[in-house]
Amino acid sequence: MTRLLIVVVVTALLAGLFWFGITASQGRAIGPTQLGRVMPDFSRPVFARYQAEFGETLSLPTGKPVVVSFWASWCGPCHAQAPTLEAAWRRYRDQVLFIGVNTQDRGNERQAEAFLNQSGITFPNVKDLDNRLGVDYGLFGVPETFFIRRDGTLQHRHAGPITTAQLSAQLEELLQ
Amino acid sequence: MRVLALILIGLVSLGQAQEVLLDPRVFEIGRQLRCPTCIAETVADSAEGISGEMRLIIQEQLVAGKSEGEILAFFQERYGDWVLLDPPRRGIYLLVWASPVVVGLLAVVLLMIYIRRGQQQAAAPLDVSSDELERVRAALRQEG
Amino acid sequence: MTFELSLGHFGMASILLAFALTIYAMGSGIVGALKQDASLQTSARFAAFAVFLATTTALLVMLVALLTDDFSVKYVAETSSRASPTWIKVVTLWAALDGSLLLWAWMQTGYTALLALVALNSALRPWALVVMQGVQLFFLAVVAFVITPFQVLPIPPLDGPGPNPLLQNHWMMALHPILMYLGFVGLTVPFAYAMAALITRRPGTEWMQPVRLWTLAGWGFLALGKITGGWWSYEVLGWGGYWSWDPVENLSFVPWLTATAFLHSAQVQERRRMLKAWNILLVTLTFALTILSTFLIRSGVLSSVHAFAEGPVGPWFFGFFILVMLFSFGLLALRWEQVRDRSEFDSVVSREGTILAGNVLFLAMGFVVLLGTLFPLIVEAVSGQLVTIGAPFFDRVTVPIWLLIFVLMGIGPLLPWRRAEGQTLARNLAWMVGGALLAGVLAYTLGVRRTYPLLTVAIAAYNLVSLGLLIAGVVRPRVRQGLGNAAAVFTRYAYENRRRFGSMVVHFSVVVMALGVAGSSGYRLDQQLSMPIGERATFGQYELLVTGLFEERRPYKVSRGATVEVFRDDQFVTTLTPRINLFGNSPQPVSTPSVRYTFWSDLYLNLAGTVDPHDPAQQSVILRVVQSPLVAWIWIGAVILALGTGYALLPSPRREPMAARESVPT
Repeated sequence: MTRLLIVVVVTALLAGLFWFGITASQGRAIGPTQLGRVMPDFSRPVFARYQAEFGETLSLPTGKPVVVSFWASWCGPCHAQAPTLEAAWRRYRDQVLFIGVNTQDRGNERQAEAFLNQSGITFPNVKDLDNRLGVDYGLFGVPETFFIRRDGTLQHRHAGPITTAQLSAQLEELLQ
Repeated sequence: MRVLALILIGLVSLGQAQEVLLDPRVFEIGRQLRCPTCIAETVADSAEGISGEMRLIIQEQLVAGKSEGEILAFFQERYGDWVLLDPPRRGIYLLVWASPVVVGLLAVVLLMIYIRRGQQQAAAPLDVSSDELERVRAALRQEG
Repeated sequence: MTFELSLGHFGMASILLAFALTIYAMGSGIVGALKQDASLQTSARFAAFAVFLATTTALLVMLVALLTDDFSVKYVAETSSRASPTWIKVVTLWAALDGSLLLWAWMQTGYTALLALVALNSALRPWALVVMQGVQLFFLAVVAFVITPFQVLPIPPLDGPGPNPLLQNHWMMALHPILMYLGFVGLTVPFAYAMAALITRRPGTEWMQPVRLWTLAGWGFLALGKITGGWWSYEVLGWGGYWSWDPVENLSFVPWLTATAFLHSAQVQERRRMLKAWNILLVTLTFALTILSTFLIRSGVLSSVHAFAEGPVGPWFFGFFILVMLFSFGLLALRWEQVRDRSEFDSVVSREGTILAGNVLFLAMGFVVLLGTLFPLIVEAVSGQLVTIGAPFFDRVTVPIWLLIFVLMGIGPLLPWRRAEGQTLARNLAWMVGGALLAGVLAYTLGVRRTYPLLTVAIAAYNLVSLGLLIAGVVRPRVRQGLGNAAAVFTRYAYENRRRFGSMVVHFSVVVMALGVAGSSGYRLDQQLSMPIGERATFGQYELLVTGLFEERRPYKVSRGATVEVFRDDQFVTTLTPRINLFGNSPQPVSTPSVRYTFWSDLYLNLAGTVDPHDPAQQSVILRVVQSPLVAWIWIGAVILALGTGYALLPSPRREPMAARESVPT
């Protein structure tokens, strides 16, 4: 009888583990999110169309919450989420800085410019020409959006295209 | 020493037509890092863009004289423990490091118990009832 | 709306018929077995044939649908493409999740039908068939009700996306999955018989007699499946390696390890009537691990290069796995007292001792590989943290265990049963260790300095001496008896003792493959070069010259590559053409490396970066270059393994002496 009990217990433990696996694998982040990490500062050249308003290079501001969104010209979902980001920027521009980062686009300057033209984005975009900023941020892919608090720590990161609801929820939390 | 070797390789390759973009050491270190955007490939082997960038970073840092440990730490800082293919030696991960040793010891112990028990049983006299013993005796008498 | 009969309906009907017939077969089989009713049992067997006919029809229907581009069938619409060449359309049948399950189900019904046809009548046969049909009921249910590949689309699309580009790149795709499934399904037969033995309370040697050939064949298919998978990796994935401790590779490796253990401990039961409970445990574990690996791979719980798209089958395989665990291990637990034997170990230093030690090592390796593969999941479940366990860990823990197995493989076959005699053993060991030391010293002086390759060479020599001693032990007494000269005597021996000779050949193939692995992993040269077009470049002992770029256009893919001429000592050797393929359905290009195979080492070129033959500005090409010594020995060893296993499966020309002992009731 003890042996039967062992079989049942082991099976139950395995069942628990694998059921966790099934449920967790849906919508799991690709890698660790490292929330609370102090995000590295950077100084990158700004795309020509934004230089008048934002200067030639842009860095992380101090004391103000920032949304950093990575994109590439060949990335379809990046294009799809552009209006969402733009709408949020227009609403929150006094309180939160939005910075777009063009990454993983070596040799595609023309296409990157075209992307910005078509999207009608008015928040500043910088060029990550050597892709190092992406690596510094622990980027898993594009699009990926980072929400950074006033004190420079990471509140949340969202891999994949973001919806208005998700964006608003994070922004509200940033402003608290 | 390694820096010297790299410089020598660099100098030697200046004299040749090709450019060694990535030193063999890059692949050695790359084999210890997980490609962040791939499903299950190493930085050394993956064809994805980010792995290519990471290989270039490793090459640069090697030329700058960084050690293997420093390079691995560089990526660990940015991507977390998860990017290392060898789990760190602390906390819960110690279980994984200890498990082969534990398994080995367990296997040896169980094996010894099994063999010891077998040898004891082989040495112990058979447990036979007196009826059966009588039947065997009768059969032996008949045979011979 | 008129109802038009299409291929999809026909296929669906066949699968549903197979499902219904399986229920009948199981029912009549169970009742027939319980009541010992011969006619019911025969009816069950005929039902098994009918099921196979039905699933074969379904498979052919799918094949026809693929070849005629019938996009009204759901699976065809999802995975095939008009532009694909014929052989890819055939391969598409198993290239995606749904189709591969259909193939597995078909093979399962095929094995059941074969078993119903050839298995000798016994008390075990009806129950073994019932268990086989239970397994096939599950697969048929999943195909018929969960994934429904034959579903008819009311508005068929004009074209489909085509299969995954990685799977279109190489003809090995045609072979590797088939071998794997033949292996997995083949190993279900011993499991079915073991269950039958438990159900009928006949756990002695009776259940093992009919399964010996099935086990060997299943094991052989699985071994070849794994090796061809490695070769596919080598030729397709572009990094010059063949094994990466990827979760899917690991998960299908572990049941092979337990199957290998079983293959050996089965002999101990045959000869010494020992390890009865152990054997049932091993074969049950093998089957449970097979289902576990299928579940984990297809459910998306562990991701890998092999990832099938996450489908709805995950929870179903989960349920089946739990069912298999409870039923099979539960039954074993209940019958344990009746199954375990009085172990009569005379001495550890004996054939059975080394086999048992080897078993323990195989299981230990399986356990650490499984634990390492599952550990990230366990950590995530317990603490929420994400961690990776990769190749460095697996290499570190499996290599020592493997080396111990390698040593046992040499000494085991030389030991007699029961107890080894001291003097003979010492003499044999002296030869073997001597050979090892000699080879080790020789290798060291020739430049082999790394630990693992050096140890492998030494133990390989030790094994070769062992094989020599085995052969001498067979040949010398026969020559002395005047039965002929050495060659004739040995040929006669090999002809008559197929099992023994086959196993010698297989062990020899293991030595060959071990050397191949040691050479290619220990002394691999890896570089990434930027090579200007038209100028020679040096790599290792070779000189490479990129003569130009090319482009090939086919309806389903566009290939762009570089033509590279290879020279050695200023002599032209060969031309290699590494290329990058772009398939219609995917923006992600797939590179095809170009390999020069030689006996001693491979030269491997893979394109990195982009190649544009139409761009006049492209002056150079980025190539990943790899030189792998001895890697061809792995594929050569695989062929030898296949030959040895095949030979061992052949029936004996005359009745083996063992058979006489087996017919005596326990």
